[in-house]
Amino acid sequence: MLNDVRRYYGTGDTAVKAIDGVDLRVDEGEFVVLLGPSGSGKTTLLGLIGALDTPTSGRIVVAGQELTGASRSELFALRRHTVGFVFQSFNLFPGLTALENVEFGADVSGRSNARAVAREMLEQVGLGARVDHFPHELSGGEQQRVAIARALATGNRVILADEPTGELDFRTGVQILSLLHDQTHAAGTAVLVVTHNREIARMADRIVELSSGRVVSDGPPPAGRADVSELHW
Amino acid sequence: MMDRALLWLRWSWRDLRQRWVLVGAISLVIALGTGLATGLGSVERWRVDSADASYAALNGHDLRVTLAAGSFARAGELARAAAGVAQASGIAAMEERLVVPTQIDASHDGATVLTRGTLVGVDVGGGGPAIDRIAAERGRSLSAADAGRPHAVLEASYAEANDLDAVGTLRVSGGQTLRYVGHGRAPGSFVVTLPGGLWVAPGSYGIVFVPLDTAQRLTARPGAVNELVLDLRPGVDTLRIVRGLEDALVARVPRYGLTVTALPDEDEQRILYEDARNDQEVFNIFALLVLAGAAFAAFNLASRVVEAQRREIGIGMSLGVPPRSLAVRPLLMGAQIALLGVAFGMVVGLVVGAAMRNVLETSFPLPVLETPLELGVFARGAALGFLLPFVATVYPVWRSVRVAPVAAIRVGPRGARGGGVAPLLKRLPGGTLARMPLRNLLRAPFRTGATILALAGVIGVVIALAGMVDSFRATLDLAARDVQRGAPQRVLVDLDTFYPASSRQIEAVATAPSVARAEPIVKVPAEVRAGGTTIDVYVEILDPESELWRPKIVAGSFRRGSNGIVLAREAAGDLGVTVGDTVVLRHPRRVGANAFRTVETRLPVVGLHPNPSRPLAFLDESRRSLLALAGAANGLTVVPKPGRTVVDVERDLFARRGVVSVAAATATVNALDDQIDSFVSIIQVAEVAAVLLAVLIAFNSTSISVDERRRDVATMFAFGLPVRAVVGVSVAENTIAGAVGTLLGIGLGYGLLSWIVHSLVPESFPEIGMVVAVAPGTYGAAVVVGLVALALAPFLTLRRLLRMDVSATLRVVE
Repeated sequence: MLNDVRRYYGTGDTAVKAIDGVDLRVDEGEFVVLLGPSGSGKTTLLGLIGALDTPTSGRIVVAGQELTGASRSELFALRRHTVGFVFQSFNLFPGLTALENVEFGADVSGRSNARAVAREMLEQVGLGARVDHFPHELSGGEQQRVAIARALATGNRVILADEPTGELDFRTGVQILSLLHDQTHAAGTAVLVVTHNREIARMADRIVELSSGRVVSDGPPPAGRADVSELHW
Repeated sequence: MMDRALLWLRWSWRDLRQRWVLVGAISLVIALGTGLATGLGSVERWRVDSADASYAALNGHDLRVTLAAGSFARAGELARAAAGVAQASGIAAMEERLVVPTQIDASHDGATVLTRGTLVGVDVGGGGPAIDRIAAERGRSLSAADAGRPHAVLEASYAEANDLDAVGTLRVSGGQTLRYVGHGRAPGSFVVTLPGGLWVAPGSYGIVFVPLDTAQRLTARPGAVNELVLDLRPGVDTLRIVRGLEDALVARVPRYGLTVTALPDEDEQRILYEDARNDQEVFNIFALLVLAGAAFAAFNLASRVVEAQRREIGIGMSLGVPPRSLAVRPLLMGAQIALLGVAFGMVVGLVVGAAMRNVLETSFPLPVLETPLELGVFARGAALGFLLPFVATVYPVWRSVRVAPVAAIRVGPRGARGGGVAPLLKRLPGGTLARMPLRNLLRAPFRTGATILALAGVIGVVIALAGMVDSFRATLDLAARDVQRGAPQRVLVDLDTFYPASSRQIEAVATAPSVARAEPIVKVPAEVRAGGTTIDVYVEILDPESELWRPKIVAGSFRRGSNGIVLAREAAGDLGVTVGDTVVLRHPRRVGANAFRTVETRLPVVGLHPNPSRPLAFLDESRRSLLALAGAANGLTVVPKPGRTVVDVERDLFARRGVVSVAAATATVNALDDQIDSFVSIIQVAEVAAVLLAVLIAFNSTSISVDERRRDVATMFAFGLPVRAVVGVSVAENTIAGAVGTLLGIGLGYGLLSWIVHSLVPESFPEIGMVVAVAPGTYGAAVVVGLVALALAPFLTLRRLLRMDVSATLRVVE
């Protein structure tokens, strides 16, 4: 839950208002897309929710934990036990295999039997046969699926995905989002996806549109939630 | 054209500024390498030039004729004989001397200064010696007015080491008092060597210059001389004169067992010139190793910078800029780092040079010191310091401009770099964090390799440097254990010549109040030859079954009646002989009261002893006949009475006639040990420099790693890994690299040390059969330098990690 959250860079007349008074609430099992043009504040908002950044003012509560005023170590703990990330450029560890990358997610969040969890996640994302491959041996779509498996392996209640399809072709992007959608609904996880692709955003349960750091619209896709087969590429 | 050049220059300068900490650190590494190369590079030239100038200034002798120990000629006899030889026209001047061992008591102000030494009686008739002139450093030199008077000049380093005033009094063997009128230096005493050539600490052995007639009176040998020094005319064939002189003198005065030595064969010359060359060789290797470390560090940085510029290079390619132009910017940066390093290096070189100048003044206190700024050496060091790091940047730059433009500008998964050789180790134990360090190292094999090699170079220098001291000490310990075996308080007494065992001189020593037991011995210098190799030895004739002391035998046997020679194990190795083989002993044989002839005797090797002193050789009492010295002795081994010390014996025997030297059996070992002490501080300075280098290399490597893996680090932070865990990964990674580098460095250092000990030391110090030894403390220092410096380096990047903008870093696309 975000309450009148602001994130300004700089002060005075030259201050850049990246986020300017955002109120937002996302429930468990919800698949929310943050939509908006470049510079609208999508990624900044995601960073604030993920405790990667701290707001200039306002209140943020994630999974019942108050982030405002939390100590550095509390923010680290929140990221470990509450949030999972998927990045535009995947950010897999090049020195770890696909299985180990996913295992890392399970490891840091303190899940027992991390290796078995990682195997299961990779099976779920369709990479059961690629567990021993290093990131550079995988395609972009496969790498992103590993990244999603890593985020899911944390077992955390919130998944934050920053332009997860930005580096992928449309078809792969849709597959990735579909995967995220299905997995999160199955696990009851809240998922926030940042994208600027309106077509892909049609898959969301809810679209929050940002412009100049403000929420300009918030609601289900105008034409209702679309199925993968209805998307155009 | 000019504008473009300026653009490249500005651009590369910005690249430098962007990484200024790293650039500064690498420049410092280059500076240390270049500085060591230039600062140490001048030392040989300085030493050689200073020695040349000192010999020239004091008219150092060209040849020296020495009589066998115990032989004395009548004054004028040697000079007349030399003047009559066929090659006499090549001789410019000659002077006779009386050179005898003595004991010096220069105790003053409550401080005991009781040491061995040499009394050098010189001709002062012409206002002081004309050959091997004495340069006064304090007080004055000897003059004609000193003739016959009890006046002396003390060798300056000895006086300085023992804190003696410019003028004062001292006593010499026989208890006679001399007034020293100054401190001075002369050829032959530029470095202090014991008879036999061991280079010892200057405070442990004194040289006392006195007028010739004073020396004759002090030793009760009126009109006697035992040395002739010759000054040759410029351009004459020295070798021809040596041979001619040797043959002629042996024919004219056969009873003295004389030897003719050319100046370059003197122990002092060997130390001044050969040691200078060998030291320089070691210095050059050390400097090169450090420079190689700098080159590896520059390679690491260049690789990282080029990697960071990959897209920019690709954009340039897309715009049609030729690869050679694209290479200009990173190459310029490499050149600027190298130049910066060289500039700092010149300063370091001047500092190192100044430090070495101080070392020279202390260790080689020559009367003339020539230590100018060697521009050639500096130019060479600067060129090397520039070229090595610059060339190291060429490879990564060359590699970067050879890729296809599309590959260079590609971002995201297709642009992702490969995993290096990480796939070689797919199965690793432990959790994901535990696996990361090794995989990270394998991901960047070139950088890992460069870091390890750079570190290994530094560790190698530490091991080799400190190992030299360790090896010296281990060798001396070995020698000390051997000479003290069974009789820790053993004292060696030297007599001025050979006396019958029943003589009152020997009786006086044996019955001295402080002496419990005494055994007469014979000690003579000789040569052993086998298979074309000749080595100098000091043959000691003793009782092989003596309960007082006898040599330890590690091969063969040495018993009463043994008819062969016992050699040092090292000496036997040099000669290529072992027990049972035959060697030729070239030794003096008495032909009259104070006369000897040099003869050759074939002898079997009956045993080997482990003492590292190569010249030590032993014969059984029954072989005295070889020297025609049956029943005679020129020394004694004595043991003090219970409760009495070595100093008590020294004082007790000091004034006894015929006694010229009284010293603990370990005195030589101790004097060598003191000499090594004077080099420990240099080693420590070098070790500090090595530690600094290791820290810089570690910091560079870690800094580059953090820079390269900042997205990995940001991802770890995003997943909530605390800073300590992230630093822990770096620490583990560096620990692995540090361990490998340290192990490699230890191997490299040990190899280098072995080469120094086995190849260089025998040339400079042929008397010592040095063992290769590295003390646990040295290994500890290597571990501290390598492992700890590298393991702790990640903490230097802590600030950067704490200030990392995680969100922004995660979005960075390289």
